[in-house]
Order: sequence, then C-alpha cells, then structure tokens
Amino acid sequence: MKVGVIDYGASNIFSVVRALNSLGASTKIIKTPEDFKNIDKLVFPGQGSMGSCSKKLSENNLRDSLINALNNLPFLGICLGLQILFSESEESEGQKGLNIFSEKIEKFNEFEDKTIKIPHMGWNQVEISQNHFLLKGIKSNEDFYFVHSFASKEANQNEIFTKTFHGEIFNSAVGKDNIFATQFHPEKSGKSGLKMLKNFLDWKI
Amino acid sequence: MSVTIRIIPCLDVRNGRVVKGINFEDIVDAGDPAEAAKRYDLEGADEICMLDIDASYEARSTTLDTVEKIANQVFIPFTVGGGVKSVQDVEVLLRSGADKVSINTSAIINPKLIAEASKEFGSQCIVVAIDAKFNGKNWSVYTHGGKNKTELDALSWSKNVEQLGAGEILMTSMDKDGTKSGFDNNLNETLANDLNIPLIASGGAGELNHLVDAIKIGKADAVLAASIFHYEEISIRKVKEALKREGLEVRL
Repeated sequence: MKVGVIDYGASNIFSVVRALNSLGASTKIIKTPEDFKNIDKLVFPGQGSMGSCSKKLSENNLRDSLINALNNLPFLGICLGLQILFSESEESEGQKGLNIFSEKIEKFNEFEDKTIKIPHMGWNQVEISQNHFLLKGIKSNEDFYFVHSFASKEANQNEIFTKTFHGEIFNSAVGKDNIFATQFHPEKSGKSGLKMLKNFLDWKI
Repeated sequence: MSVTIRIIPCLDVRNGRVVKGINFEDIVDAGDPAEAAKRYDLEGADEICMLDIDASYEARSTTLDTVEKIANQVFIPFTVGGGVKSVQDVEVLLRSGADKVSINTSAIINPKLIAEASKEFGSQCIVVAIDAKFNGKNWSVYTHGGKNKTELDALSWSKNVEQLGAGEILMTSMDKDGTKSGFDNNLNETLANDLNIPLIASGGAGELNHLVDAIKIGKADAVLAASIFHYEEISIRKVKEALKREGLEVRL
C-alpha cells in the first residue's frame, strides 16, 4: 500500500512522512498531477494560510486531481488540510476552499483572559462526539498537539467527530464518507497520534 | 483553561552524544541522544529540546544527523538550538526534522533574523532563547553561552522579540542555572506578566517543588530541565501529577 502525501509547496511534510514510515507504510510525495497515479490513500498536511495554499494548489495544477482523489480515496487532512476542505476562511477572504464542507473557517474570538493565547499552540483535550474508525482505541479527552489561529466553529452535526475548548468550543475533527480531517497534528501527538495514523492505514472504505 | 502546561526535557549534545558538565566544564558522556529522547517520549515529555553545545561549523553534519535520528523516533514536538545564524540554518534544521528552532546569540547580533525566519516558516517554529543575569536592578542579557554581557535588559528584549515575530521565549536564568535551587521566579513572573507569547522557564530545577513553583509563582507556560530528568532524579510523570494536584492542566 502506498500513501500519497501532498506537498503543494509550502508545507512541512517531513514529520508526517516520518510518522507514516515508522508505522510501516510506504509514502509517495505528491507535487504534480501525475504523482496521483498508483496511490491508495492520501494525506494532506497543510501549513500556512488558506489563501496561499489555495493559490498554490491552482498554480501547481493540483486542484482537479485533488478533488478527484477526494471522491475516491481514503483521505486524511491535517491542520490546514482540514481548513482547505471548507468553503472559505476569514483568514483569506475571497479565496475559495475545496467546499467539501459548506461552512466557513473562522478566527478565534479574542479574550481578556491572558491564558487563552492565539495561536492556539500546545496540547489540548479532544472530546469525541461521534465514533469513527480513525478514533478506534482513543479515549475521549486524550490530549493532542495543536498549532493554529483559525478554526471550524460551524459544521453539520453529522460531520463533527471531535470538539476542543480554547476559550470557546471548536470542531477539532470533521469527516464524511472517505474523508477525515483533524485540526490537531497526529504526527506530533505521541502515542495517541500514532494510533490514529495507524487506524488511517487500516481504514477501508 | 486550555492548553496544558508543558514539561520539556533538554538534551545537551556535543559531537552526537548527550553530555553533562557544570558550566560546560568537566564534560562527561551521558549517552545516545535518540535513545534518551525516546525514553522521554515514553515517560510523557510534552516536547523534546536538543541544544547543540558545540555548534562549530565542522560539527554541523553530525548535528543534523543527530536531529534526524531523534526525529525518526520521536513523534512529539522537537526543538533544536545552538549555532543558528541564518534563515538557511533554520531551514536545514526544519528539513532535518526539527519542528521548532531556537535562536540565541544571532538574534541579538541580527534581530532581523527573527522577523525573516518567522515570516518564512511561521512564528510557531521560532523560539528565541535568552540567557540573563540579575544586575541588582534588572536582568542583563548575555550572548555566546553566557560569556558576553550586552546592554540589553531581559524584559525589553523579550518584548522586542515578541514584536519581531518570535513564537515563544526560552528564558534561562544564569544566576540559577546549575544551582538546583529553583527557578528565578521573579524574572519569569516579570516577563510572563508582560508577554503574550508562551514563556518557557529554564535554569535551576533541583526538586519537584521547583517545577511547580515555576508555573504557579513564575507564571511560566512550560518548564525545561536537563539533568534532573536525565539522571532520573525526578520523573516527568511525578512532576505532572504534582501540577495536577495544584489544579493545573497537564497531559497524563
């Protein structure tokens, strides 16, 4: 089995590749539309702003192949790889996301409380609101590692799998059909994160 | 509450080996860095920090090799510091497997480096390390591993690096470092009250209560320590249990 990992030109994909390799999976870096051939699963470890990500996907002609893969392959989006699945983001008004989820990515509210810092960076609890194959063996409220300033606050209830509190509640994992996406970084979340990646490797659709 | 308090064991590395010494003298070999990092991960460390204490140009490839070995085995955030002088140095470390890069002396010599590196790779991966010593009135910043005193004051320098785009500050008290008498909670609290980015307290850990006080009194977001964890004087889990008893959020 070969897992494609998208490198659209601005993301640090190495830690995801290392984590997948440590679990025995072989990986293929995807930089062009041709690279989508002969892969069985797809991981999108995004980083940076949604606007520049969306632009780079178009510039590198990855958008159509990506949408095609989103219709067919087991897909895991991580961090910006979750946000890009929504229709748009307050971070980059006017730039279109992939619209798998029709809602918007929003900025965190600002708080007087100095312990609530933006970016939301560090380990925080992930509360499971709906079971999913990728969450198998993971208990509700285990800690995962986050680094982000924007988040999904509104989504269809059926498509929300975990929630996290950072001054307000946001959706830390969403999914539908063959697509699952996390705001946290499983590749940096120690044992719990590796368990989730292992589940992704075992996931059949 | 939201994110947990972080416990960060630090590995001082020279020529690909963990080393221990007092004030960088009488250095003894203390094992393989990747093995140590893996053990810390299993014991519940929230991040791993590796400080290249040699950081000479000749030893650079050994350093990158060590970074890569650790990154292949440890799947929690990993910070690397020592001898980082340019945006390119940052990039090479990130490519080798670091998640964050810590800059100290070069940030003082060339503050633009902080802005450039954080713009290029994001604030989340740029840590500015500050070594400071109390001068009777406030805290003076030192460079080159504590050898050279500067005109900078730790509080104004930390505010400055925050504005330049640093994502975190790693504050080492030179008065406390190596003394095992507790962290400089005055210094840390002074900084924490004024900063909007996370503060990592370093220097002085000797017993369990010191780490708890660094959070409760020093208001730090994270504590970093080397020898107490290395020689298993205190386990990471015990520290976290103590913090939890104080009502603080930890990852257990």
